[in-house]
Amino acid sequence: MRSERVEEYLEAISKRQRTETPVSTSSLAADLGVSLPAVTEMMQRLAAEGLIEYEPNKGATLTAEGSRVAITTIRRHRLWERFLTDILGLKWDKVHEEACRLEHATSPETEDRLASLMSETDTCPHGHPIPDKDGNIPDQGVGLLSEFEPGQKVRIAAIGRETPDLLRKVEKWGLKPGVVVSIESKDSKGSMGLKLDDREVVLKKDSAAALLAKPVGPDEETVKEEEVPISRLQAGESGVVRSYAGGRGMLGRCLSMGFTPGSPVRVIENYGRGPILVSVCNSEVAVGREIAGRIMVTRKRG
Amino acid sequence: MAARSGEKAPVVALAGLPNVGKSTVFNLLTGLSQHVGNWPGKTIEQKTGVMQYDGLTMQLVDLPGTYSLTANSVEEQIARDYLVKERPDLVVAVLNAASMERSLYLVAELIELAPRLVIALNMTDVARQEGTKVNVGALEAALNIPVVPMVASRNQGVKDLVKVIGVEYSQPTVGRIVKHIESGSETEGDISHIAQLLADEDTTPYPRHWAATKLLEGDQQINRLLRERVSEGRWADIDSILKDKEATAIAIAGLRFDWVRRVLSTVQEKRPLGQISLTERLDRAATHPILGLMILLLVMGLAFAVIYGIGVPAQQFLEVSVVERVQGLVFNQMTFLPDWLQGLLGDGILGGAGLVFTFAPILLLFFLAWGFLEDVGYTARVAFVTDRYMHAIGLHGKSSLPLLLGFGCNVPAVMGTRIIESRRARLLTVLLAPLIPCTGRMAVIAVIAGAVFGGWAILVTVGVIAFSLVVLAILGLVMNRFVLRGKRAALMMELPLYHTPNPRTIGLGAWQRTAAFIRRAGTVILIVSIVVWLLSYFPGEGIEESFLADIGRWLEPLGKLMGLDWEMMVALLTSFVAKENTIATLGVLLGQEGSGLTEVLREMLTPAAGIAFLVAQVLFIPCVATAACIRQETGSWRWMATSIGLQLVLSLSLAILVFQIGRLIET
Repeated sequence: MRSERVEEYLEAISKRQRTETPVSTSSLAADLGVSLPAVTEMMQRLAAEGLIEYEPNKGATLTAEGSRVAITTIRRHRLWERFLTDILGLKWDKVHEEACRLEHATSPETEDRLASLMSETDTCPHGHPIPDKDGNIPDQGVGLLSEFEPGQKVRIAAIGRETPDLLRKVEKWGLKPGVVVSIESKDSKGSMGLKLDDREVVLKKDSAAALLAKPVGPDEETVKEEEVPISRLQAGESGVVRSYAGGRGMLGRCLSMGFTPGSPVRVIENYGRGPILVSVCNSEVAVGREIAGRIMVTRKRG
Repeated sequence: MAARSGEKAPVVALAGLPNVGKSTVFNLLTGLSQHVGNWPGKTIEQKTGVMQYDGLTMQLVDLPGTYSLTANSVEEQIARDYLVKERPDLVVAVLNAASMERSLYLVAELIELAPRLVIALNMTDVARQEGTKVNVGALEAALNIPVVPMVASRNQGVKDLVKVIGVEYSQPTVGRIVKHIESGSETEGDISHIAQLLADEDTTPYPRHWAATKLLEGDQQINRLLRERVSEGRWADIDSILKDKEATAIAIAGLRFDWVRRVLSTVQEKRPLGQISLTERLDRAATHPILGLMILLLVMGLAFAVIYGIGVPAQQFLEVSVVERVQGLVFNQMTFLPDWLQGLLGDGILGGAGLVFTFAPILLLFFLAWGFLEDVGYTARVAFVTDRYMHAIGLHGKSSLPLLLGFGCNVPAVMGTRIIESRRARLLTVLLAPLIPCTGRMAVIAVIAGAVFGGWAILVTVGVIAFSLVVLAILGLVMNRFVLRGKRAALMMELPLYHTPNPRTIGLGAWQRTAAFIRRAGTVILIVSIVVWLLSYFPGEGIEESFLADIGRWLEPLGKLMGLDWEMMVALLTSFVAKENTIATLGVLLGQEGSGLTEVLREMLTPAAGIAFLVAQVLFIPCVATAACIRQETGSWRWMATSIGLQLVLSLSLAILVFQIGRLIET
């Protein structure tokens, strides 16, 4: 097994690579909180193992193998964070450090179990995408919040730095990932005035730069995720109930069985004909195809 | 019941979802002091019993298992009408600790209607396996309702429950914390608007605010009730709001689930893991279109092997060693009695009702097997697997459960249609159920086929049974297409977790069903047996000259079309009393002793006539017990007459057809 340190470094390089290639030793030293000579020594070791290409004075780039290790580590890290918040109920500002320890002690089997358990979400609690099993990270098309201009409407996508301090502040501001804000003002120093729901928040430039955001198109409300009948979901796919189409014949029964808007559902079996088997409210429900065609859901990816 | 002198015993109602072990809890609380009857005016089984605590005798009523208190089904209507009209002193809500969301949804509704509640938090063991745990103290605090954790299947927590019920009755918890869960910004306006419109109207026995909520939820029963009471103009106002506010039903349910989730976030120590459970893995196979069907056939095959392997020898024993021995006693030892009385006792009562009674062991075994499959959780999967096939005849999977029961006896099959919510689907199932060859008919087929066809008997037997099922399918198709048109019902049922069966629940259930059969054998069947015997005895010149023979001869022209003599027609007729009677009648008419019957039949019936007779027999009108049950379940003489008429025409015309074709082939 690869040492914890190695994984730690590869992870850091991988994250840096998105903004900086090759990654300089000084940035790594800052990210990891270690001394420059220590980083240099490690770079040489990683290069010798074929995990990175390293050019002194320029920096490091991950090789294919190094990238694979890094992404696996990131995947495990983010899955653990989800687990710690959603299942164990830890606060989101505590989980990063815990996950840092757990990610190195995770077998592929545990990783798979975690992934199937957390299949309903595709990001970590801080909004960063969880890489899939093949190492693909969906491109979120995000930018720093500080780079958007007044008049724009954006959705907070993720928190850039996962320090407990920042996370607690973000929570206080009410700017958790998923929240839509409109940018009201931006002064010469880069301080931003944001409006969300009924409140206003003012962020200093460096705080705004710590948040990743994504523009919300004027028509996003209308092209929001496509609603499909639950009968269209394949076995294993999850979704969220949104609405009912057609008559109210069986509406009462559907509602009391737990098919209310907002309820998460998972299709256990769907053979294309005959009834489908759905997991809702933590139990199995057989739903005749004609009703299944009327319960509209949005798919959950992952 | 056992009330203390002059004073009415407090009434405790047991409410809960289906599949939460409610009947197990009921059995534990009442022991054997149970009374099984029907809900007034309804054909849903009502169980009542008595429980004791600290010198206090309480009457316990088992409400039907329901998911909500909106009248989506007869069960739900009964449960909530009982709560509203009978006002039980205390309601025990049995919850499934492993499925808290849906359980608490019902509690959200019960809170509105039950003045005093106790929560029996059942299946805490299953919850633990699922990786979740409910904090009992927190739940009590959140609802201000006493909560008793229990594992009813292992008899844990029952004493506590009895105690808490007793204490809650004598010193009720005061102060309901939770009120008007359904009131939210999207609903309150509509609810109070309708409540205002109803302000001067009589909504009794339902609380006005509650009735307004139910109207918005689309409750048909409340709708009908109020439509009759409210003036036309006012109703038009209400109706237009209801049409306009269809989404409010969703909002109301949404608010209840919001409340449920809020409560759960504080009382559930761990969220269920949502892991791929054993049940889900088993269901991959059990609900598979092909594999599932094979499993179903295997399970049924195995069940019937056991039922007939043990049941037939037991039936034979009862017939030979009990009924025939007593008959011998009547005819040989009781010669001091007048002839007619000997005949009435020996042939009429023992030969008719007595013979039917010998089938009790087969039925008991059948109900045990069925109860076992039900308690394990398999029957719900049967509904799932068969759903797509039942669709062809306009029914859904739940209908296949009563039809399968029909292989044991058509009576429980007709009664079993109660699980079907839609009246149309239920009527169709009731009409089709008597076409399923029951154990009685199978016995007749086995004897006749054995006598006439020798080595080919098994093939003929299987063929005739398959034929009757094909007829059933075609009849279903035709009825669905042309007669009982209308909206198809759709399947929506919970598939409970598989679990270890509880012998007590299975045994008690099977016993109650068998006892109902025996009671019937002692009443309806007894009376008809006596009537048939009287017809065969009078005017007294021997059976050849009896009224029965007259009827048979009168039918002979019809019989000739099927190649059957008057004796066979009479045998067919007497199967109306009980299908098994065919053999008994033939025994009386054709031979002095049952042993000679085989030879006589072989000489008398050509193969074509033999098959024609089997076809007529297997499709012939429902027996008297089934007919009575159809009348009772449909609440209509017309449906009973339809069923009898339909099968009469069907069986005779098909038998004629078979005989005529057979004759062509023979010559």
